[in-house]
Amino acid sequence: MSTAIHDTDRRIIDRYTDQPAGLPAELRHRIEAMTGAEPVLLYAFADIDDRYMLASAWVVLTRSHVVVVSPDGRFMAGDTVPSTSAAEGAGIRLIERWHVTAVHDSRGLSASTLTLTAARNEPPLLVVRYTNRQRRAFERIRFVLEEGIEGRDVPCGDPDLEYAAAIARPIRDTQALVAGRPTSVLLRLLGYMRPYRKELAFGMTAAALITAVSIAPPWIAGRLIDRVVGPAQAGTLDVGRASTIAWLAVAALAMVHVIRQAAALARLRLMSVVGEWVVRDLRSELYAHLQRLSLSFFARKKTGGLITRVTSDTDRIWEFLAFGIIDASLSIVMLIGLSVVLLSLDWRLGLVMTVPAPVFCWLIYRHGEKINPLFLRTWRKWSRVTDVLSDTIPGVRVVKAFNQEQREVDRFVEHNDDVTDEANNVHRMWTTFWPVIMLAVHGTTVMVWALAVPRLLGEGATLSTGTFVSFLLYATMFIAPIDVIGQMARTMHRATSSAHRVFEVLDTEPDVRDIQNAIRLEPVEGRVTFDNVSFSYDGVRQVVRGVSFDVRPGELIGLVGPSGGGKSTLVNLVARFWDVSGGVVRIDGIDVRELDGGHLRRQIGIVLQDPYLFHATVLENISYGLPGASPVDVIAAAQSANAHDFICRLPFGYETVVGERGQTLSGGERQRISIARAILNDPRILILDEATSAVDTETEREIQEALDRLIAGRTVFAIAHRLSTLRRASRLFVIVDGRLAECGTHRELMQVPDGRYRRLHEMQLSMQ
Amino acid sequence: MRGLTSRRREPSRTESQVKTETLRLEWSRAGRLIASIDGTEHAVTVSRCFPWSEPMAFLSLRDTEDAEVALVADPLSLDAASRAALDSALAGASFVFGVRAVIDLDEEVELRTWHVSTDQGERRFQTRLDDWPRKLPDGGLLVRDVTGDLYRIGDVRGLDRKSRERLWAFVD
Repeated sequence: MSTAIHDTDRRIIDRYTDQPAGLPAELRHRIEAMTGAEPVLLYAFADIDDRYMLASAWVVLTRSHVVVVSPDGRFMAGDTVPSTSAAEGAGIRLIERWHVTAVHDSRGLSASTLTLTAARNEPPLLVVRYTNRQRRAFERIRFVLEEGIEGRDVPCGDPDLEYAAAIARPIRDTQALVAGRPTSVLLRLLGYMRPYRKELAFGMTAAALITAVSIAPPWIAGRLIDRVVGPAQAGTLDVGRASTIAWLAVAALAMVHVIRQAAALARLRLMSVVGEWVVRDLRSELYAHLQRLSLSFFARKKTGGLITRVTSDTDRIWEFLAFGIIDASLSIVMLIGLSVVLLSLDWRLGLVMTVPAPVFCWLIYRHGEKINPLFLRTWRKWSRVTDVLSDTIPGVRVVKAFNQEQREVDRFVEHNDDVTDEANNVHRMWTTFWPVIMLAVHGTTVMVWALAVPRLLGEGATLSTGTFVSFLLYATMFIAPIDVIGQMARTMHRATSSAHRVFEVLDTEPDVRDIQNAIRLEPVEGRVTFDNVSFSYDGVRQVVRGVSFDVRPGELIGLVGPSGGGKSTLVNLVARFWDVSGGVVRIDGIDVRELDGGHLRRQIGIVLQDPYLFHATVLENISYGLPGASPVDVIAAAQSANAHDFICRLPFGYETVVGERGQTLSGGERQRISIARAILNDPRILILDEATSAVDTETEREIQEALDRLIAGRTVFAIAHRLSTLRRASRLFVIVDGRLAECGTHRELMQVPDGRYRRLHEMQLSMQ
Repeated sequence: MRGLTSRRREPSRTESQVKTETLRLEWSRAGRLIASIDGTEHAVTVSRCFPWSEPMAFLSLRDTEDAEVALVADPLSLDAASRAALDSALAGASFVFGVRAVIDLDEEVELRTWHVSTDQGERRFQTRLDDWPRKLPDGGLLVRDVTGDLYRIGDVRGLDRKSRERLWAFVD
């Protein structure tokens, strides 16, 4: 685990929880001093006391001690717990690990209890309670203690890293990018525009030109009235000359509008195009990064959510880049510019217009804030509607089988009515707000009129008609920037949220990474060695526990045992889809973490129970791992997989499109295409994960024939529930609860009295 | 029917009835809840079948392999000592935070952070933005955070005005 991830984890703990980000250094030194300089292996934070009140205590594991530290002196165990060793210093208690004979974990809804006992009828050595937030850290301690009791040593990493990762992981899984301030996200987003700075500069110039020339028409109108129309009507200016000046002014107005629209064209086109280029770059980077990420990332993120990030979120970013940034910045410039112009035209009328402007901006912002809970409520009710849809459309057979169509219709109508009511509440709010705010804006114009009329009329009028007309025209331009500035917070929030979601993916580092100068095995012999391997997907439940074996090249290993026992996980570790939590997996004697992952996986073929075919032709699916394979090789692979015949019966033979929305194939047919894909790839190590369990007996026979050809000369791991399919296995591994419970040939295992394999075999015989 | 039934893994004992007086519950010195049925002792944990609608009925006693050894339909049918042992086991098994006030609700990308005052003390926790509180049969709300901890808001109308305002969007 990198230091950067550790720093993120510590930041998460500091920012989102009320507990320490690690064991205080001073405490660690005291513990080490009390335990004879034993280093701290693991630690966890107990946050509930014996009365189920929030508390804070540490449980620390060293090589030969369990240390309990409770600053307030409470040992989280009631007063029945005796100390097994003299405590030095207040609030610290040592328990020698050799005393512990059993570890019991009792899980409740929100609180679990870890009990360490010495002997059956003796009081517990330790009873400690904690919430689910601490569960990962305690689970690790429990696992190491249990293994220790069994005499097995579990290698532990850096305790600070393990603790921080255990606490922060659920939050990091929800939101990987932590403490990203909106401004830094925005700056990072703008950084993507750097390659297009020339176009951006043109776009900005065009937008600035639009703003600048927009100021001209009211000014021209005012001057025309005061200097030309007025004097001409009063007879102080020659009509012919006035007419010439007026036509020039009209021409100037026309020119201004032409320039303005030409600039608008340049600005709209340039910024739209630049926006598209930026999001194209983002989408490509995002997709390429997704392909780099480990399976663990996809296991904790919903597919729909990831697709949204590549599509809708980038689209929203485009909208912001193309229009949002310039609109917002130029609106501010426009508002300031207009204020200056209005105040310089007439400071008294100018004040009437400009003073309320910030108030209007603030009111629009407040309106956005106030409408948010309504949106949230509507969103919540929408999710109920979508829940009904996502429940009942895939489950329509069950609905029909139980004759519950009307009930589901009623349920949908109820939620649909509910969401409509909420949406109408939203509409009521904004449809009330906008007319009122516009009334207030127009109210200022009326105020301007009210103040202007006495100054326009009568003897010695102090306000010229032209100035007033200019003023009114400028006043109408005030509304648009106020609206944009008021909405800016929301626009920014939407854009930064989308950018945040995109950057979150980009900032996620793959859990499984190649080291520098990774080794390429050429050729791979196919020896697979597990040395005391442990693994957990979520850091809570140990799925593989201390498994060791050595498989020689060319061996066929049958993996059997109950569902959920860890068989598929073992083969995933061979392919290094995940990295082990403890121990080592070796291929040809080399730790898989030192091997080039991509190269290794090209040597491994996988045939799954439910094979995935892409929306592509049969040919493309078979040659997926070897693009450009010759038709002769593809046909030979399909023939070996017993697939050639049915492929030829398809409407377009090997060029028939299959997969989602393609030609419908049966489970057996899809399976045989996936076997052909594996045969063509010619892997040295082959993994068959329940390859024949989803098909009928006849198809199974055909697939089995294909598999028999496929496995020749390769190291094979075959997972099967039907033991009869493993008759050719060199050895059988019985995997129970993450452990290698039994290992041997069929004959050897059948001789184990009350053996797991023997029981399984007899049970299957009796069911036939 | 309220009473006591026992379900064991052996097929012959499945669904067999266990008379109330044959079940005894007590705490061992080692701190484990022990169920004695027909003289056989099992270390058990308690799990509520209906934690929200029937919290004090249908309690499943489960052994160390998480298999049910008995189903207590009605704890009142047990003797007083067994009932007391069961009650203390339930306190741990069914513990959830009881929310007294919502001090703050803050939203950011993907996460909603709750700052609450609970019967157990002040606590901050996070939920996903699209994870909504669940309405309980008694009208209360149940919030599940990203780590799986549960927070129960018993009577929303009984909370202070500010808390009610903060919760408004989450209550029907």
